[in-house]
Amino acid sequence: MTYKVTEEGNISTVFLNGEIDMDVVEQAKEVILPLIDAGKEVHLNLKDVSYMDSSGISVLIESHQKALELNSKVVVKEVSKSVLKVIMMAKLEQILNLE
Amino acid sequence: MDISESKDFIVSTSSLKEVRVFSREVFEKINIQQEQKDELVLAIAEAAQNIVKHGYKGVENTTDKMQIKISLKNNELEIGFFDKGKPVVPGNVQHRKLDDIKPGGLGTFFIKQIMDEAVFKKDQKGWVNHLVLTKRI
Repeated sequence: MTYKVTEEGNISTVFLNGEIDMDVVEQAKEVILPLIDAGKEVHLNLKDVSYMDSSGISVLIESHQKALELNSKVVVKEVSKSVLKVIMMAKLEQILNLE
Repeated sequence: MDISESKDFIVSTSSLKEVRVFSREVFEKINIQQEQKDELVLAIAEAAQNIVKHGYKGVENTTDKMQIKISLKNNELEIGFFDKGKPVVPGNVQHRKLDDIKPGGLGTFFIKQIMDEAVFKKDQKGWVNHLVLTKRI
């Protein structure tokens, strides 16, 4: 997994790339969670994420819930077809902010 | 077309990518839709992850291996997982309720969604656990 972060005002966009599994999940959290802690609205762009397992889904849930606690939000954008299928399998499409 | 292929992997999170690569290579030989191949790879990866995460919980840098065997016979796909981790009590293997939204607990749910059956067998032959996932394809 690789990533890139861009900033625009109070919005941080994290572009994730590659496969997100248990092996890289801590790395993903280390990128995303501090941005939420810093009060940023975080946009996760998943267009280049080709695979995500239950560990990756847990990162999406944890990020979403942490942002809610801090009165902010995480928006999940440009979800690839394969990842969307896993999100839907977990019945999270109505829970996460998908764009 | 009948298939029977197996491979050993070190029990580690860093092996999960190799597990997916192996699974994809085997499924390339089977004439099913790509979407179904992706689902099957996810189920295999989740089962392998469960071995690393639960079977070897608290164990760091093990040199133990787990074995994954993918067999296809008469359109019945059988995927075996052998490991030497903590003995699994099948009744304790449960996923969280979907409406209890929290991180974790989805891997087993995905496996059950994708596969027809998931059974722990008692024919370990030198291993501690033998999980068999089956699906009619």
